Amino acid sequence: MAYKPYNSFSIAQNQFDRAAEVLGLDEATRDLLRSPMREYAFAIPVRMDDGRNRIFRGFRVQHNDARGPCKGGIRFHPLETQDTVRALSMWMTWKCAVADLPLGGAKGGVICDPHNLSEHEQEQICRGWVRQMARNVGPHSDVPAPDVMTTPQHMLWMLDEFEGITGTKMPGFITGKPVGIGGSLGRTEATGYGVIFTVREALKELNVRALDTTASVQGFGNVAQYAIRLFSQLGGTTLCVSCWDQAEGTSYAYRKPDGIDLDELLSITDRFGGIDKAKAADLGYEVLPGDDWLKQDVDILIPAALENQITAENVTDISAGVKIIAEGANGPTTTEADAALRERGVLVIPDFLANAGGVTCSYFEQVQSNMNYYWGKDEVLGKLDSKMTSAYLSVSELVRKRKLYMRDAAYIIAVDRVARACRDRGWV
Amino acid sequence: MRSSEPGRQNVPWFDRNFFRSAEPITRIGYGRLGGKASGLVRIRELLQREFDADRFPGVEVYVPKMVVIATDVYDAFMERNGLVETALSACADHPLAEAFQRAELPVEILGDLHALAEEAHTPLAVRSSSLLEDALQRPFAGVYGTKMLPNNSPDADTRFRHLVEAIKYVFASTWFQSAKSYIRATDRASTDEKMAVIVQEVVGRRHDERFYPDLSGVGRSYNFFPAADAKPADGVVNLALGLGKTIVDGGVSWIYTPTRPRAPMPFNSVDDILKLTQLSFWAVNMGRPPAYDPIAETEYLVQADLAAAHYDDTLAAVASTYDANRGRFLPGTARPGPRVVDFAPLLGAAQTPFNEVVRELLALGERALGDAVEIEFAGDLPDRGRGTVRLGFLQLRPMLVSQHEVDIADADLASPDLLLATGRAIGNGAFDSISDIVYVRPESFEARLTPTIASELDRVNRTLVEEQRPYLLLGFGRWGSSDPWLGIPVEWGQIAGARVIVESTLPEMNVELSQGAHFFHNLLSFDVPYLSVAHDPNAAGYIRDIDWAWLDRQAALNETALVRHVRLPHPLFIAVDGRSGRGAVWREPPTREDRSA
Repeated sequence: MAYKPYNSFSIAQNQFDRAAEVLGLDEATRDLLRSPMREYAFAIPVRMDDGRNRIFRGFRVQHNDARGPCKGGIRFHPLETQDTVRALSMWMTWKCAVADLPLGGAKGGVICDPHNLSEHEQEQICRGWVRQMARNVGPHSDVPAPDVMTTPQHMLWMLDEFEGITGTKMPGFITGKPVGIGGSLGRTEATGYGVIFTVREALKELNVRALDTTASVQGFGNVAQYAIRLFSQLGGTTLCVSCWDQAEGTSYAYRKPDGIDLDELLSITDRFGGIDKAKAADLGYEVLPGDDWLKQDVDILIPAALENQITAENVTDISAGVKIIAEGANGPTTTEADAALRERGVLVIPDFLANAGGVTCSYFEQVQSNMNYYWGKDEVLGKLDSKMTSAYLSVSELVRKRKLYMRDAAYIIAVDRVARACRDRGWV
Repeated sequence: MRSSEPGRQNVPWFDRNFFRSAEPITRIGYGRLGGKASGLVRIRELLQREFDADRFPGVEVYVPKMVVIATDVYDAFMERNGLVETALSACADHPLAEAFQRAELPVEILGDLHALAEEAHTPLAVRSSSLLEDALQRPFAGVYGTKMLPNNSPDADTRFRHLVEAIKYVFASTWFQSAKSYIRATDRASTDEKMAVIVQEVVGRRHDERFYPDLSGVGRSYNFFPAADAKPADGVVNLALGLGKTIVDGGVSWIYTPTRPRAPMPFNSVDDILKLTQLSFWAVNMGRPPAYDPIAETEYLVQADLAAAHYDDTLAAVASTYDANRGRFLPGTARPGPRVVDFAPLLGAAQTPFNEVVRELLALGERALGDAVEIEFAGDLPDRGRGTVRLGFLQLRPMLVSQHEVDIADADLASPDLLLATGRAIGNGAFDSISDIVYVRPESFEARLTPTIASELDRVNRTLVEEQRPYLLLGFGRWGSSDPWLGIPVEWGQIAGARVIVESTLPEMNVELSQGAHFFHNLLSFDVPYLSVAHDPNAAGYIRDIDWAWLDRQAALNETALVRHVRLPHPLFIAVDGRSGRGAVWREPPTREDRSA
């Protein structure tokens, strides 16, 4: 068997091709959309703390900006590749489009491992990235945000450098800033809450009360925590949650038959945010192997950790009672597992719809920053719910009308919106 | 917000297409709906089941569209924002309301509220619907806040913000000082209370910068003050132009007996009619946004005079004009002359069965609740008399008329120990354990000082409620009037510890008896007798004026220039005979053997 390396850009292009086929897009539109419009690759020289100079490689890929300024995160990752960034920028285009945000898609990155860099060195990388890109990003052209291994502090350094170069105050240049320095209230909660807004709408369509449902969640980060909290506030019960154990380098699932208590688990986390296994056991939780979150007999599964978690190998472990899978993480389901779930008739709320709450709130932050006027949390979360709900309802309407799988319907809506914008602008 | 509380009515879930949805009443949240909302659900069912609309051509009765935010939302709001401690503290109303405004509504309802704000462009009433109201079968009328929103900003986010502020205001009003005093008077704790909130479209039409209904009404199936040739069971109806705030706050309105809708009100002269009928009305302010004040109930309300109604073309359908040549009032405003809001064009029109509908609604309410009832409604009249009268049914409450028999003989009224007596009393019962008297000093009383008197009474009331000492309250003009020139503008909570209330007239404060629906209803529901004592021996119901001199001779426990609080060594004896309308207070308990408390 020939070895075929995993290439996320190829996958993204294949997904686009399927949607383009259904939509009957012409050749020029396909050519335009299956590759990024602009790509930047550059060097970032940094004087390290030990006095040596080191060159880091930086990227920014702007996939499409027909619907508005590009939006997308900046990742710091030692294994970053241009193709990964290309794929992620394309997915950002679709995510913004399916949420009906007036934004295009972009992604950026630097090949580096922040764990091995001092704060000062990280600051130099941030400032260097902005110096290279300042002419091609900005509040009206391309708005970066935090992503893998980048933080609000990184965003502030980047903002500071950008404002220094342009000689202006432009908090709308970047999102993910701390609250009080241009950040938006509700950003922390947005992705997790957004996942549950879509779950709530899905339950309504299935005519099931949230009160009567149970869930199992993979991950115990921000997205998972707020998803669990809102799900419980709607009346649902989370029976199981899995969490990475830093000390043991593996994950465990924590289960309670009458439902986990989020605040209780949060009170026994270690400095990495992981759940303390021994304390959890003392509190009456069953401690199971990490993969067992998937095997629970629940109504809803929420993968909210990493990509490629539901695979051809473990998809058969999913209980027959599972009605909904809401993809809180990016790409948690492999293509093969997705096909199996489609076959079984499970309602899979695709990642770029389910977890669009994050980018939606980033958009809100951008709007607030451009106005330099900040909304109350009620207002942010009220708008977030409205946006997420209408995004879900548009997709589910197409699912019903054309009897489509939800992931396909979401792609079709997103690609169609972007293609129309390109046509309306006279690009194709 | 999970709840398995009993008593949850079968009300459908809120539909984000608020106005396009076929359901007039929907809910957000799993919890209870509270008294007011439950009443509206009942009205809706009654109208569907028992109201024969075909019998009343030209009049349409409906429940205005509304969504109820159930009590579990309030619970979550209080708990997640850690507000219980602030609420239980002695925090004044203003900082308390501010603290509630700073708190966040539960995230799970924000999307629905945002959708509602996006969908609705007409004024909304944000009203309380309290759980204790339901549990105690007591209408907590006027105790909690209501906020009217113009809801006409072109920006949905602004409308959303105002809606959120109004809901927080209603939540905060659960813990206002007057509400706390009110609840203490019910022998329940404020912590027992939970608040649902009704968001309802306001009945009415826009007239330039004002939005208001052509008429608002309160109907009661039992009349404690029947006119000379009417019976209590004939009931009574108050009508006013504009928002119902005029009536429920005890302002001037047109009062008639439903069995005799065309009978004039008993005024002595044309001059009296012109002075003592409605001269101003309340509307939602659709014009220039007012100063930002989310914790003021009247933030978006405006009061206008009859000239404004004439300009709006709403006066003709509800007013008459005095014809000096004929010496009488003629319905409508076609002729020049002084106007009076007497609803003659409506009540005198044979072709519109408006009054018949009101009677039918009262009868329906009585059958449903098995007791005398009070209803509130608001309506729009057809343009130029052509079309349909649309009546929005807003409230149904029990009146709790006491049937306990108390007899006051003529001989009792001749007693030298009599402190006061009247032939115009509401309520029923005898009381022999009240030793505290709080009274407004007649010698220093002036109408302009009534707001100050109200706040002084509030202080005394709080002390007496704290000490659990019921008291007799005496003052001038209409208690609870929103118009300080007609009486003392107290809210119920400010005098909630009073066990018996007396209103007296003075030459400079000689107005008709209290008819404010909220205040009046609290009297009945708390079973607080209300005695109206005239200073003028020629006035209706006069028996004996108050013995002010004796009161002044009693040592004061507390006194200011305006208010005096005395504590007697022996309790007073107070009796009210609900059948005859007689009421009296004796300094010493009479010795008649047949009297029982």
